[in-house]
Amino acid sequence: MEGLFSVFTVELLNSGIRLATPILLAALGGAICNQAGVLNLALESKMLLGAFVGILAAYYLGNSYGGLLVAMVAGGLLGLLFAFLYHKYKVDLVILAIAFNLIIVELTVFVMRALFGNVGSWSDPSIVRIPDIEIPFIKDIPLLGPILSGYNIIVYFSWFAVIVMFIYLYRMPGGRHLRAVGENKSAAETVGINAILLQTLALVVSGALAALGGAFLSIGHLKLFTRNMSNGRGWIAIAAAMFGVNHPVGVFLASLFFGFADAFSVRVQNVTELPPNLVKLLPNVATLLVLIIIALRTKVALSMARRRFRAQLRAEEAAKPAEEPV
Amino acid sequence: MTPAIEMKGITKDFASTRVRANDHVDFSVEPGEVHALVGENGAGKTTLMSILYGLIKPDSGEIFIDSQKIRIDHPNDAIQHGIGMVHQHFKLVPSFTVAQNILLGMEPTQAGLLNQQQENELVAALAEKYNLPVDPTARVRDLPVGMQQRVEILKVLERKAKILILDEPTAVLTPQEVNELVTVIRGLSRLGYTVIFITHKLVEVMSVADRVSVMRGGKMIGTKKVSETSIPELARMMVGREVLLRVKKKEMQRGDVVLEARDISISDVNGLAAISHVSFQVHRGEIVGIAGVSGNGQTELVEAISGMNSLDGGEILFKGKIIDEASVGERRDMGMAHIPEDRMVVGLNLQTTLDENLIVSRYDDSQFSRYGFLLMKTISEFAEKVVRAFSIAAARPGEGIATLSGGNLQKVVVGRELSGDPAFIIANQPTRGLDVGSIEFVHKTLVEERDKGAGILLVSVELDEVMALSDRILVLYRGRIQGELDAATATEEEVGILMAGGNLQDLKYAQRADQQELRS
Ligand SMILES: Nc1ncnc2c1ncn2[C@@H]1O[C@H](COP(=O)(O)OP(=O)(O)OP(=O)(O)O)[C@@H](O)[C@H]1O
Ligand SMILES: [Mg+2]
Repeated sequence: MEGLFSVFTVELLNSGIRLATPILLAALGGAICNQAGVLNLALESKMLLGAFVGILAAYYLGNSYGGLLVAMVAGGLLGLLFAFLYHKYKVDLVILAIAFNLIIVELTVFVMRALFGNVGSWSDPSIVRIPDIEIPFIKDIPLLGPILSGYNIIVYFSWFAVIVMFIYLYRMPGGRHLRAVGENKSAAETVGINAILLQTLALVVSGALAALGGAFLSIGHLKLFTRNMSNGRGWIAIAAAMFGVNHPVGVFLASLFFGFADAFSVRVQNVTELPPNLVKLLPNVATLLVLIIIALRTKVALSMARRRFRAQLRAEEAAKPAEEPV
Repeated sequence: MTPAIEMKGITKDFASTRVRANDHVDFSVEPGEVHALVGENGAGKTTLMSILYGLIKPDSGEIFIDSQKIRIDHPNDAIQHGIGMVHQHFKLVPSFTVAQNILLGMEPTQAGLLNQQQENELVAALAEKYNLPVDPTARVRDLPVGMQQRVEILKVLERKAKILILDEPTAVLTPQEVNELVTVIRGLSRLGYTVIFITHKLVEVMSVADRVSVMRGGKMIGTKKVSETSIPELARMMVGREVLLRVKKKEMQRGDVVLEARDISISDVNGLAAISHVSFQVHRGEIVGIAGVSGNGQTELVEAISGMNSLDGGEILFKGKIIDEASVGERRDMGMAHIPEDRMVVGLNLQTTLDENLIVSRYDDSQFSRYGFLLMKTISEFAEKVVRAFSIAAARPGEGIATLSGGNLQKVVVGRELSGDPAFIIANQPTRGLDVGSIEFVHKTLVEERDKGAGILLVSVELDEVMALSDRILVLYRGRIQGELDAATATEEEVGILMAGGNLQDLKYAQRADQQELRS
């Protein structure tokens, strides 16, 4: 058993935060889309696109930060394309998402082979991983320092994005209008709010954030691109957005939960004898549980209320003296 | 006096439905008057007002405000010219507060940030100014409909509208809320505001409007001073023929008990009693009316009887059998019919055709399907028959129903529910939002079913309707039956006091006191 406890270390927290970052970025994108009333099920393909374009651009530009920017622009453009097809030609967003989720996996593999002739993965020695940064002063705080400091810029940016998105959605008129559009589009439109513009904004921002999350995988965490590198994280991000009720802070906590589940399973594999395939399932089981909780939340509350009422009714009857026949 | 608004020769064709919704309509409104706009379902009232508000572009026609010819291409143009509209279906954001809704799109900011407190103060001041009290911090989804409407009116006033368009503002209100709204409209007109309001209720026209315009089939039939017209005349102008405003009923032929509720209790979503120890019987050949202010348990009662929700206590007997465990389908097979409260959501599927809507309650009947396949030919013949029997004018078998007017949609529901000779019918708000002609039709049909021997449970928040149709009236108050009255002798006063939670004893004392006062 000692093996199992030895997994709870500062390193576990560090790697949990790292693994949460791509999910958090994509989930924030999912959340802003949900708030604007445009369901975004294409986070997975936007992440994958970001991972691929990010590493390519880092290679050709010879600058990994440049790679991040290009990845975000690519994701944003894909979001813009979605918005255009949706508003102009009324293409269903779910169908668009399915189509792109299928296309991008194959497209990245195709381009990778065409350019480099590789089959499963690609890397180049010239590519530099985005460096970790120690934050002065904060890194010296006892206990908290090592947890809060020592990540690369993408991690800090994702925290910054949580704060910015919170202020935008809940403290600025634009964000309030965006939420109004998501909840009752015609109410927003009759007071002159440009719903199309705000939904387009949400899709573009969402694309850029998800793509940055993807680039974190290929040039932030590793320096390597593999086929289907996002590996379901876009879908977990959708669950995280729901779990965090589309609120930036909620989404942050939900993403951390998934990140830790991920880190935990990696650690457990290293220190225990449990079959690795079983342990690898852990984050997926966590996701499944969360989805079930989300689905049952209101239902359970309702049936509990009902059960209370029935019990009360029965108690009433028992308390009543047997009625005299009249 | 120059008119506040003048619309000339407005024409609008809807290509998708091949309907001329407005046909060279002329319409003018004097400044400071309350102008009612009436007409059958689908007459084109909402279309005309949507054109005035910039939501729909007319094919031809001109609009003048204070004799200036203007163009209105977008609601923003209308707002600029001082026109505001409260829509038939409210345009509010349910999770936002009252203040956030009223100021939506025009929030004051400091350094780009919102200031909740300043917003609340602004709205409180606005409410004070127009004497329309609201709680700026309440969430709209927690407010009763009447209050939501007040929020809509304040929203329009905040945008400096001088001309208010209210589209069927009273359709969803309780009688008390209607009275409050009438006071509000009068107050606004006294302050110099011009109010156009659309309604189906001619009593309201007579009590609040200065003038009234009548539309029919997309055309403007005429405008009258309210003081120079009468309800029967307006009804005739609307429908184009004589209308029976109160349905004629034969003597009741009361048969056996068909439905019985025995001490039933139902929980609401919070585990509190929505229906508490309610018992009653419905006989064949009688109409039992359930009166009550909406939200007193009507929805839960209807859901339990129709099988959409389960009971928590007691039992329901249909034709002498306990049906607590029976599904909706089984209850229907036994001869129960249900005209639901909301035709748009529960009653009909607007996405599909007339035929499918008409057979959806018995598609697996051997008449309509064999070996799991639908018999399309029989079905469309059946649809044809229902369309003729219930004169659903605008509907065509095989075509969609999404753009039918409210009256015609309700005819589709009524046609489906009553074409199988049911033994028992639940009619929940069967005439909500319908014009006088359609109301006459629904009432006549229900009375015919009663005379054929069906038992009918009529649930309605319209006191008039319950009084006119029922043989017996039960008043529901906070989930209990507050009293039972014989419809032949009941007075509106008696029903009203029960609906408010009082009892008949109080009424007698009050009357006696009145008489004593008169004597002394
Ligand atoms: N967007 C639309 N597309 C096609 N047809 C429409 C549209 N809007 C309305 N119509 C049709 O135009 C006609 C007039 O509709 P309108 O809504 O103006 O009637 P109304 O007088 O307001 O009726 P109600 O009393 O039921 O609200 C109807 O026949 C309706 O089916
Ligand atoms: Mg209308």
